[in-house]
Amino acid sequence: MSNDSTIQVEGLTKRYGDLIAVNGISFTVGRGEIFAFLGPNGAGKTTTVEMLECLRKPTSGKAFVLGLDIAKDQMAIKKRTGVLPQDFYTYERLTVKETIQYYAGMFNSRPDVDGLIKLVDLEDKRNVLFKHLSGGLKQRLGIAVALVNNPEVLFLDEPSAGLDPKARHGVWHLIDGLHKQGKTVFLTTHYMEEAEILASRVGIIHNGSIVAMDTPQGLISEYGKRNMLILKKTSPKAVPNIEKLGVKANYDGPTGDVIVHLNHGVAVSEVLHSLSSSDIPFGELQLRRSSLEDVFLNLTGETLGEEEGTI
Amino acid sequence: MSHVVIDLKASIRSFLRNKSTIFWTIAFPCVLILLFGAIFSQSSTKYDLYVQNQDIVGGKATYWSDRLIGYLNATDAPFNIQMIDSSVNATDYAITNRLSSLLVIPFGFGTNATSAYFTNGTATAANVTLIYDQSTSSGPIVRSIVMSIVENINFGLSNGVNFLNVQDLTIAPQRYGYIDFFLPGVIGMTAMTTSIFTSVSISAQFKQNGVFHKLATTPLKRYEWILSRTVYNVLITYLGMSVMLILGVAVFGMKMTVDAISLFMVAMASLMFTGLGMIIARFVKDPDGADAAANVITFPMMFLSGTFFPLSQMPLFLQAIARVLPLTYVSDGLRASMIFGQSQTAIINTAIITVLGVACIVIGSWITKWEED
Repeated sequence: MSNDSTIQVEGLTKRYGDLIAVNGISFTVGRGEIFAFLGPNGAGKTTTVEMLECLRKPTSGKAFVLGLDIAKDQMAIKKRTGVLPQDFYTYERLTVKETIQYYAGMFNSRPDVDGLIKLVDLEDKRNVLFKHLSGGLKQRLGIAVALVNNPEVLFLDEPSAGLDPKARHGVWHLIDGLHKQGKTVFLTTHYMEEAEILASRVGIIHNGSIVAMDTPQGLISEYGKRNMLILKKTSPKAVPNIEKLGVKANYDGPTGDVIVHLNHGVAVSEVLHSLSSSDIPFGELQLRRSSLEDVFLNLTGETLGEEEGTI
Repeated sequence: MSHVVIDLKASIRSFLRNKSTIFWTIAFPCVLILLFGAIFSQSSTKYDLYVQNQDIVGGKATYWSDRLIGYLNATDAPFNIQMIDSSVNATDYAITNRLSSLLVIPFGFGTNATSAYFTNGTATAANVTLIYDQSTSSGPIVRSIVMSIVENINFGLSNGVNFLNVQDLTIAPQRYGYIDFFLPGVIGMTAMTTSIFTSVSISAQFKQNGVFHKLATTPLKRYEWILSRTVYNVLITYLGMSVMLILGVAVFGMKMTVDAISLFMVAMASLMFTGLGMIIARFVKDPDGADAAANVITFPMMFLSGTFFPLSQMPLFLQAIARVLPLTYVSDGLRASMIFGQSQTAIINTAIITVLGVACIVIGSWITKWEED
């Protein structure tokens, strides 16, 4: 394996009877990268990350974390990686500080406990029992716990699932900070916005297979719809006018809107200019940016599901 | 090893912060002991009074001996009089048969009573001897009733001149009360409930809320965690046991021995029930199911293993069931070592529980998984 790839996966497969949870996936994650696995629940994200954490045995395929084989070097991998499981939970009746100390003890490490508490902004909760923490604070403590052994690689499984927007932003800020410290982060998410904001590269996983992998911008420009200009309550006569400029446009009967599919060659100002010079009135304007959600929809024909990452 | 100590510290901290667990493991057994101890220690309104009449002349009881027995046997006296053979050694008989009280009317009692009665107490009073076990709840009661009956006879027949006298002879406490039976049973029961419930519910909870999952990502090994839980269960059971022993001595004046065998038995019982709990936990899906399953196992065992009532008082088929329940051997072994001083019985029962304990913990550890495959 190459020296600068921290995680290397080759043809990794996990079957449960007839069900194929993960189907021969291959990818690499470079040192210091934030790599996001984006996909709906049940796509195989957690199964993959748990194989990399040495919690599940692959049916076939190989994977190396920090150059260590997940099939042979489990203990060495555990010692050098940090894990935030989905919905982190621990001894209910230990305080924030005691929880960090407990896990530090498990790694025989002596981290700066107060520094970790400060990092995850739980200074005023240090003596609060775990069971009395809110969901967002539990996740933040989970991140502190994942850092007790000063790991080189962090596995974060759905780090902000179920959190309110404010708490989610807090977690994102934290992950971004870790990235800046040079940690390699592998995260799974079903929030496209999380992947788009945090990840340097995104792998889109669907039914156990990786259907696309690139930087968020690369994915959007390759698989996303073009940006769209929506002209509210506008005459259908605008359509041929706009198409003369070399862009596609269509009239949406029920809403009375004209939708212009922009491309790189034509600016919004040109469209508006052509309408005003032909005396075609138009109402309110909306500009819709293409997102990973569109990429996912285009690639799989499905949406990412319930609550997408709207803030 | 340091992982075990760290996890053990976390578990004990959690225990000390959990009021309901403290109640169920420490206070509840004490309440049971006080309650059952009080109910069963004073349930009888009639006491068995064994009487040996040696004052037989020509094959017949003398006038005064017959009269005394008549008073003791009167309908308003709280005694069931049981006559024993006049030729046996009374003290040995009382000890062997674990009698709490035995009244001996010596040969010559009638003659002495007659002369004391007619000389208005100038002659020596006629003695009877009451052999009683002061360690039992009924022994001292019987003694005071016999005393007051004799006093009444003295007062009624000779205006207060003591022509009859009761001599005390106490015997070693070889007779056991309900509490002596009950307390070791409750210790066994606590070892069972503490170990099974904590083991089942912690396993089910940790599985459901993902604590196992997180632990599995650390260098903590499964066997280290199981060892920590087992030591924790043993310590908590010892704690409960200490409180119960103090209670037994302070409230019921119990006399018992806590030796290496009884301590080892409690540890092995905890080991066995921890393993059994892990086996149950493997087959339940969530914490609610875990508690239900733990109840299904512990409740019948609590009532059928001779915790509350001696097995001999149960119908034969229930006794047969009791013989296959492990708690029976725990209770029997603890009684043998702590109360009866029957070291052989104690060792046999402890050996049975040790074998079962090791088997349960090995199977339990084997089938407990932190993760699905």
